[in-house]
Amino acid sequence: MSDNGKVFDGSYMPFIVRWGRLTNVLGFLAGLGPAIMLYVIFGFRPPFSAIMAGFIAQASVSGVFWFVEPISYFPIFGVPATYQAFLSGNIANMRLPVAAAAQEAAGVEPGSNEGTILSCIGVAISVFVNIAILTAAVALGAAVLKQLPPSVMRSLGFILPALFGAVFAQFAVPNPKIAGVAIVFASAMTFALRKGLLAFLPGNPVYAVIIVSVFGTIFVAKKMHEMEEKKKGAAA
Amino acid sequence: MEYLKIANGLPMWIATGIAVSIVLFQSILFMRKSMSCGRQIGISDETLKVAVKASIISSFGPALAIVVGIVPLLVTMGGPTVWMRESMIGSVTYELMAAGFGTAAMGVTLGQAGMDGTTFACALWAMTLGSTGWVLFTAFFTPQLDKFRTLIAGGRKALIPIISASAMLGAFAYLDADRILKFDAGTVACLAGFAVMAALVVYGRKSKARWVGEWALTIAMVVGMVAGALV
Repeated sequence: MSDNGKVFDGSYMPFIVRWGRLTNVLGFLAGLGPAIMLYVIFGFRPPFSAIMAGFIAQASVSGVFWFVEPISYFPIFGVPATYQAFLSGNIANMRLPVAAAAQEAAGVEPGSNEGTILSCIGVAISVFVNIAILTAAVALGAAVLKQLPPSVMRSLGFILPALFGAVFAQFAVPNPKIAGVAIVFASAMTFALRKGLLAFLPGNPVYAVIIVSVFGTIFVAKKMHEMEEKKKGAAA
Repeated sequence: MEYLKIANGLPMWIATGIAVSIVLFQSILFMRKSMSCGRQIGISDETLKVAVKASIISSFGPALAIVVGIVPLLVTMGGPTVWMRESMIGSVTYELMAAGFGTAAMGVTLGQAGMDGTTFACALWAMTLGSTGWVLFTAFFTPQLDKFRTLIAGGRKALIPIISASAMLGAFAYLDADRILKFDAGTVACLAGFAVMAALVVYGRKSKARWVGEWALTIAMVVGMVAGALV
């Protein structure tokens, strides 16, 4: 093992895994704190059946994504940023784009040791900026935010679609063939979803769209890579 | 709406503040460790600086977009709850949906007449419990995800960057397909963001100009936003 590998696998990773596990569990417990406080101190006590009904309704929508999203996004995030992203949330609209921007600006490959470290730094900074701006907004309050002219609010609503298009372009330019494959999978699945062709699946089948888009693209890209290597092998 | 006094009261700020602090603590700890490990494995200070700058700049647009989305939640759930929930796992759309499920379980529509302390608490339970899966799954299984990726790559390191790019393209193709098939102003914003970013990436790779890496995402986002708003 090289010296780099020794530091990364021997010291950095064990530290991240130990603290990542601890901080995510602590975050989960602290997240329950306010609801428990309302129950115990302020006497806001919804019946257990209502708490479970709300939870089950949400779990039936999100349940599949608890597993699908960490698995799908892991190749971009790496170990440290996975802990961070799934504790801090707002993933597709913030953590992923910033992790990708950090790696692109530094010119490192996602999935390499360097890529893992830079995606962690990117997500950390997005957490700081997120919380700083959010704190300011919450302190100003709804009354002030409502004063913003409707045209400004409407325009800011287009940040998200523009961001999604831009992040796709960032990866599509260096990998045009894979980008084409991804678009075909995603469009076909989205179309099928809208036409009700996925209705045979249990629950709301949106999860099937993301699973097929991500893993279908990975599968085809891997096959294309293998074919190219064979060609090279045959030529040499 | 008497409950809003408690929902916006000091005890709620303290209780939610503990959760927000843990999120901050984790990222401070990880960032410091990553900076020092990065230097040890030979990432130059210059590169680290560029990446930090790019991350700060790229974070502003998405952070502002979140602020726009929280207004309806602020009115019904109060400042502290929104502060905590938007700093933790979930997203603007998730929180609105979960809060709605929570109040519906009490027979009340979120923000409508009949909202009281108990309904508010039930919404908070739904928002919190509905997101436990993400935090706990990653708390315990992140190292296994690393092994799973190696398994997909068939143990070949050369395939890992290809798998990463494919996962990213698959995920964002899914997010984009949804926007594009709607054929509305959002579609225009999405396509404009794509076009501007593609041009900037090509230019950046040719010219090696550092500002491109730092600003590309923000420029593409702003142009896309304006394009969408003008439609």
